[in-house]
Amino acid sequence: MDFNYIALALPDLLRGVRMTLVVSALAILISLAIAIVGAFLRSLPFKPLHYLVTGYVEFIRGTPYLVQIFFIFYGFPTIGLTLSVFWSGVMALGIWASAYHIENLRAGLAAVGNGMRDASASLGLKPLHHGLFVVFPIALRAALPSIMNTIVSTIKNSAYLQAIGLIELTYVAVEKISYEFRAVEMFASICVIYLACIFTVSGLGHVLERRLKRPYLGR
Amino acid sequence: MVDAVVEPFLQMNGVGKWFGNLQVLHDVTFSVKKSEKIVVCGPSGSGKSTMIRCINRLEKHQMGQIHVNGIELTDQKKNIDRVRQEVGMVFQNFNLYPHLTILENCTIAPRWVKGIGRKEAEDIALRFLERVRIPEKAHFYPSQLSGGQQQRVAIARSLCMNPKVMLFDEPTSALDPELVREVLETMAQLAADGMTMICVTHEMGFARQVADRVIFMDEGKIVEVASPDEFFDDPKESRTRRFLKQILY
Repeated sequence: MDFNYIALALPDLLRGVRMTLVVSALAILISLAIAIVGAFLRSLPFKPLHYLVTGYVEFIRGTPYLVQIFFIFYGFPTIGLTLSVFWSGVMALGIWASAYHIENLRAGLAAVGNGMRDASASLGLKPLHHGLFVVFPIALRAALPSIMNTIVSTIKNSAYLQAIGLIELTYVAVEKISYEFRAVEMFASICVIYLACIFTVSGLGHVLERRLKRPYLGR
Repeated sequence: MVDAVVEPFLQMNGVGKWFGNLQVLHDVTFSVKKSEKIVVCGPSGSGKSTMIRCINRLEKHQMGQIHVNGIELTDQKKNIDRVRQEVGMVFQNFNLYPHLTILENCTIAPRWVKGIGRKEAEDIALRFLERVRIPEKAHFYPSQLSGGQQQRVAIARSLCMNPKVMLFDEPTSALDPELVREVLETMAQLAADGMTMICVTHEMGFARQVADRVIFMDEGKIVEVASPDEFFDDPKESRTRRFLKQILY
């Protein structure tokens, strides 16, 4: 393994990882926003909305992620919605992750239990306040481990976006290999970089989890 | 002027309820005066929990009428909200909010339902936490308290909304035996202070000491209503006698 080569390639790789992180961050935000709306709609006592959200989840989870990316990038323009490579990538990744987050939140909501609803109703709390101050925080705590899991997958799955030409970390590596044939050096390097990103994010997740679980004394 | 008839504070009239095809309440009729203490007992599945859960509309009755302080419980949301402001409730499993401190558990409803400011709500909460004798736990979380302490917090949380009647749904059934007394003592003190109370409980000592009347239910019907002395020493109904024989060891 030629470490000098890796050192020379590092600036290009760092530009790639910056794109990976930007796309992932936007996709994570979008996916969580879609998921919160989706989980809320599914919790309403109006069956058609329930089927709509469940259909969305099943469709996204039941079709290959790569097909979804191509569908958005190549398919959407024919129905009049042309997105840049960057925004196609963000949308594809965000939509993919949102389906999993909706399921994560479902598990979280199931953990809230009927006792909380009884307590809030008997105290006269409005459904809005009950949702915001009771259901959401409890569900979030319960769902956090699986939400972190999906967030980690979101970052890793940004690599697929090289298929539509997004210049992220994997794209940079593959591109360089096609000119300079240093496959071992490049793939080893990007594995290390991905690992570093993932460890950082899951570490933050553990901190958050501990903080939310901490029954602390005083304030 | 004609003497005003003392309106019952709470009245159930021919209340019926079904879960699917199963009728769980049959023609339940009784009334409660202000400051009265009622103990409801009966075998499991007799409908006593369902009955008191109808009083603040946690369950919806399908027949008859329920009036609380002159307000009839119907589908009207406004009436339900008003009744819930008058009625406090304590549950078998405490149902404290696990992610909030004891103080926050006690202030959330006064702040968001009544719009009381944070400081004032905390003062009220601390006053009631003192009354249930755990002000020192104000900044703890429910999971750090014993079951008896949690249940006393649940009582304080209800009292913070200044209810006119308190419902207790088997408040000591989930407690370890040595923790039952502290909760019953808190309830007895509340009774002594003049609170109107309806308690579903199997604590017969409490019933004898605190209740004005005991209501015995079986299979969704009220079988017998009597003063505690009559109920325990000279029950009229054979079904009541059978029940008492089974629970009094």
